[in-house]
Amino acid sequence: MDVLHWDGTISVKYFRIGAFAFAQNWENHNSGFPPWSWVCPKHHWLASPEEKGYLSWEKICISRPNEEDVDQISQIDTREEEISCPGNEDVIDDAILVQSSNRELHYYDFHIVYSSTFRVPVLYFRAYCSDGRPFSLDEIEKELPACSAKELSKSKWTFITQEEHPYLKRPWFKLHPCGTAEWMKLLFLSDAAKPKFEVVLELYLLSWFSVVGQVFGLRIPFKISN
Amino acid sequence: MAKEGSGSILQFAPLQSSVDEGFWHRLSSLKLNKFGIDDSPIPISGFYAPCSHPQIPNHFTLLAESLPSDSNDESAMPPVIGSNRNRCSVPGILYNTNTMESFKALDKQGLLKAEALKIWEDIHSGKAVEDCSVLSRVLLISFADLKKWNFHYWFAFPALALDPPATLVDLRPASQWFTLEEAESVSAACNEWRNSSATADVPFFLVTIGSDSRAAARHLKDLKACQHDGQKLLFAFYDPCHLPNNPGWPLRNFLALISARWNPKTVHFLCYRENRGFADLNLSLVGEALITIQPGWRERQCVPNAVGWELNKGRKVPRCINLAKSMDPTRLAISAADLNLKLMRWRALPSLNLDILFSLKCLLLGAGTLGCQVARMLMAWGVRKITLLDNGRVAMSNPLRQSLYTLDDCLNGGDFKATAAVRSLQRIFPAVEAEGVVMAIPMPGHPVSSQEEKSVLEDCKRLNDLIDSHDVIFLLTDTRESRWLPTLLCANTNKITITAALGFDSFLVMRHGPGPLNSTPNLKAETGTSLAAGIDNLALTNTDGRHRLGCYFCNDVVAPTDSTSNRTLDQQCTVTRPGLAPIASALAVELLVGILHHPNGIFAEAEIANSNTGGNFELPLGILPHQIRGSLPHFQQMTLVGHSSNSCTACCSTVVSEYRERGMEFILQAINHPTYLEDVTGLTELMSSADAFQLDWDDEIEAADEEFVEL
Repeated sequence: MDVLHWDGTISVKYFRIGAFAFAQNWENHNSGFPPWSWVCPKHHWLASPEEKGYLSWEKICISRPNEEDVDQISQIDTREEEISCPGNEDVIDDAILVQSSNRELHYYDFHIVYSSTFRVPVLYFRAYCSDGRPFSLDEIEKELPACSAKELSKSKWTFITQEEHPYLKRPWFKLHPCGTAEWMKLLFLSDAAKPKFEVVLELYLLSWFSVVGQVFGLRIPFKISN
Repeated sequence: MAKEGSGSILQFAPLQSSVDEGFWHRLSSLKLNKFGIDDSPIPISGFYAPCSHPQIPNHFTLLAESLPSDSNDESAMPPVIGSNRNRCSVPGILYNTNTMESFKALDKQGLLKAEALKIWEDIHSGKAVEDCSVLSRVLLISFADLKKWNFHYWFAFPALALDPPATLVDLRPASQWFTLEEAESVSAACNEWRNSSATADVPFFLVTIGSDSRAAARHLKDLKACQHDGQKLLFAFYDPCHLPNNPGWPLRNFLALISARWNPKTVHFLCYRENRGFADLNLSLVGEALITIQPGWRERQCVPNAVGWELNKGRKVPRCINLAKSMDPTRLAISAADLNLKLMRWRALPSLNLDILFSLKCLLLGAGTLGCQVARMLMAWGVRKITLLDNGRVAMSNPLRQSLYTLDDCLNGGDFKATAAVRSLQRIFPAVEAEGVVMAIPMPGHPVSSQEEKSVLEDCKRLNDLIDSHDVIFLLTDTRESRWLPTLLCANTNKITITAALGFDSFLVMRHGPGPLNSTPNLKAETGTSLAAGIDNLALTNTDGRHRLGCYFCNDVVAPTDSTSNRTLDQQCTVTRPGLAPIASALAVELLVGILHHPNGIFAEAEIANSNTGGNFELPLGILPHQIRGSLPHFQQMTLVGHSSNSCTACCSTVVSEYRERGMEFILQAINHPTYLEDVTGLTELMSSADAFQLDWDDEIEAADEEFVEL
């Protein structure tokens, strides 16, 4: 098989191999980010044994809002807040540090899950602040790097949708995979070094992530060595 | 920066909570599937870890796994979050109430005291020395509103208050308190403690430093062995807090343990914090506290005061989180439906105008085989506002062909179709805004008695109002004459009107042309609302000189009359091949979408499908025909054009003008006198000189209810 006749997809076996290699590479370069981990859920009786598992990268802090955003966020929460709970007053506690509200941090969780329909990896993600409150797509899109936001609306290749996470059974966001095979193929075809197919498979996940990560302003912290 | 001086009260930084969305999902699932209204306390298990970042504290965390399992095959065992070096497990309890009132009425102080008592007991019984993870507990009260998906909650981290509070003598970064040698040794000892699976999750321990600067980390129960002269002794704990001037919350109960069991006057403590998995002695703090508790405080039966309710932005109020977007099935259905359409636009049809579809108001006259299918197709295209009008009830034979009904709708004489259809649409897609109108359409050739006149006039008015308040009208009834009045009213107000009619094995789908009296034809597709007919232009043609497209009746040479009486039984029931209705309905809706995307909308010229166009269309949805006639025996479909007729009984300018002038009086006349319309339009004359001819493949049409007339 050579790159010219390749359709841009990978098998689930290569996905697993690539995933471990990807996580290993990441950890070796110790970017300051936490490592990726492979999660193998226990009760997933539906998927065939081969397909079990996904790459997980959690509590990634991408950005912080500035003060104005903090107020906006707090307004959403406080509309319910005027419920006071009557009853005995708390004991007066002198030994507690009363802090002004902390700057809110935004955390992202990323999961790379294999899609057997499209035969490509899919990036699932969600965002939340430090007390666990999840962010809506609007809030996330506001945070993305400006160039990425423009790309998202124009680009044929990136399209964020909300769908049920295949393992966690809860709605997560994902970058829709239906264009992935196409642009992965283009990516490798346009590589002047004309890599062999085996090399393509090895580098698949790295290359894929170097593209999708840009949606979030994430850069791979090391060069992809040919 | 070192803090020295006597007298300032030692202030602890409170633990901060972080609840993963999955926790609320599981709690909802437990409430709905297992617990129901049982509001007994639920054991939970959370965790924290030492701070690993100079600017971010480590939060106390609850995940889905913090709750008992919600699957039916597992018993409700108390959950234990697997402890490891990154998760010091904290046992706790959740009181989830069934109403907001009972949430507010919970005895918060009482509950807090009860949890604090458990810690106090564990301190005195010695359990806390053996298993120090019990020094930290969590209490959570909540109210899960599973209709609005609001979760109200309030954390408490019970802490036993020293009375009087401890005072802080000194607090500084650990690297400034130890000598270089000591620091190195302490780091190594702590790292070993952190890396060994036996001790990694033990959050309270002792650090001893001998006179040779060698440090060791020991279990609390080894305290006696550690107390000899020459040895420095520090009470160390995993500190989730990052602040340079305050220790974290777990120290409170630690001091309570130390005071109750060993009663020292001063306590040296180490707030252990790390960076990238290793001890960070710059971030970690060493402090000295002065304990001056009253003698009675240490008595077992004298339970100290309990504090620890989490503040919400500095205020003593609960928190609330809304998860409708990810939990409300209706919201999820809406976003899935939107996704579908957006994918279509994104992948195949970039010029698809979803906004106009979402805001469109469609009126469906007839909720039978055609009405049911058209309604479903409309919803599939993203139309949300649908009104169905029908005066019939669901009959036993209906569910087979009328896709919104099931057997249940037929029982007890049968529900009204209009209401059953609306119910069905709502079950399919809860966000649909569907309305049912149970009403008969007044028809010419079906005379009414004078008693009925008033209600017939009301029905006419009601129909008029309905047409006025919608953007698109579908004529989907099963008689020809029932289409007359709606056609006239639509022609009068220039509403987009689509007719579908069935023969036994053939169908007609067509869009009516604009009405005869109009001002500007240059409309954009998205108006669909009626023009204010400001100028009464008698226009057979659009201002660009072409003929106005015709309506359903334009080709008729007879006025619509009573086609239902005096027919044999099988002619009275509409008998058609089942495949026709779905085909015709689907085409009717696709035709509508075509109109909406055409720059001229209702004024769009007719186009005919011909093999020359190939795959290149001017407009992305393809051509916009006027009429589509299909034949099942031939599996063929033709697009035709029919221009308006000056003598049309429904839409010619004479008729519309008469209606405008005389209103309901005119209608009543048409209803009561079968030949009135023919006289008015001059058809009577025309008939006498008309030649009837037939298209080839219409030979076999039974046209049992004469729904259309061959040319």
